[in-house]
Amino acid sequence: TGGHTTEILRLLSCLSESYSPRHYVFAHSDKMSEAKIRSFEEKRADSQFTLDCIPRSREVRQSWISSVVTTLYSILHSLRLIYKRKPDLILCNGPGTCVPVCLSALLLGLLGMKRAIIVYVESICRVETLSLSGKILYYFSDHFLVQWPDLKDKYPKSVYLGRIV
Amino acid sequence: FRYKDSLAEDMRRADLVISHAGAGSCLETLEKGKPLVVVTNEKLMDNHQLELAKRLHRGGHVLYCNCSTLVETLQSMDLSTLKPFPPGHPEKFALFLDKVVGFQ
Repeated sequence: TGGHTTEILRLLSCLSESYSPRHYVFAHSDKMSEAKIRSFEEKRADSQFTLDCIPRSREVRQSWISSVVTTLYSILHSLRLIYKRKPDLILCNGPGTCVPVCLSALLLGLLGMKRAIIVYVESICRVETLSLSGKILYYFSDHFLVQWPDLKDKYPKSVYLGRIV
Repeated sequence: FRYKDSLAEDMRRADLVISHAGAGSCLETLEKGKPLVVVTNEKLMDNHQLELAKRLHRGGHVLYCNCSTLVETLQSMDLSTLKPFPPGHPEKFALFLDKVVGFQ
């Protein structure tokens, strides 16, 4: 979704051409993100990228019961996506969409597929508390970055580089 | 208008930006060096949006109010008290990531 896309694109802005091809994953409903991504990629010399949609695992404030069903549905889509793209590295910034993607990568890794490195960068909006995605992926990511010092204190396994977006 | 692909042009021409507490809106405005008044609606918003707005306000980077105090804020504001907001450093992230994946 909007804010997350902007943050992700900023995180990508200084990455070298070695980080190619780039596979962008976003929720079905998100038209603006697609436009932002295309615009970003157009400006790069080394533009090799793909765009994939998956269903949103959970709407904000959706009930827990229906969330389980929609998350399972998203996990199925994510499994297919990860299997198809076989990423070396997964970079995410916190929208609900990223949880099934990361969990799928872990699952497929356990089943013998090439294991992706999972790097989670908590959004700059999160000053004192982690997002729900962050709380989950704090335990499942390989590298977990926060952008405010309060969070570094609360989550000692996190990495704090200051503001990176 | 409801949505534009980019507000960059509008922001460049503006002397003052009044915005909700969305991170993208706040950060984009601060990076362009424009004075920003953040309007929050604690009843409608996800609480987490407030965290950033409050922190930015504590740092003296934005003015902060809610819908009912907006007019009063605009009438009594002193924009010269606002401090510039230093930029983020995506290059630090790039260095970190290079080490993580083994490109050095």
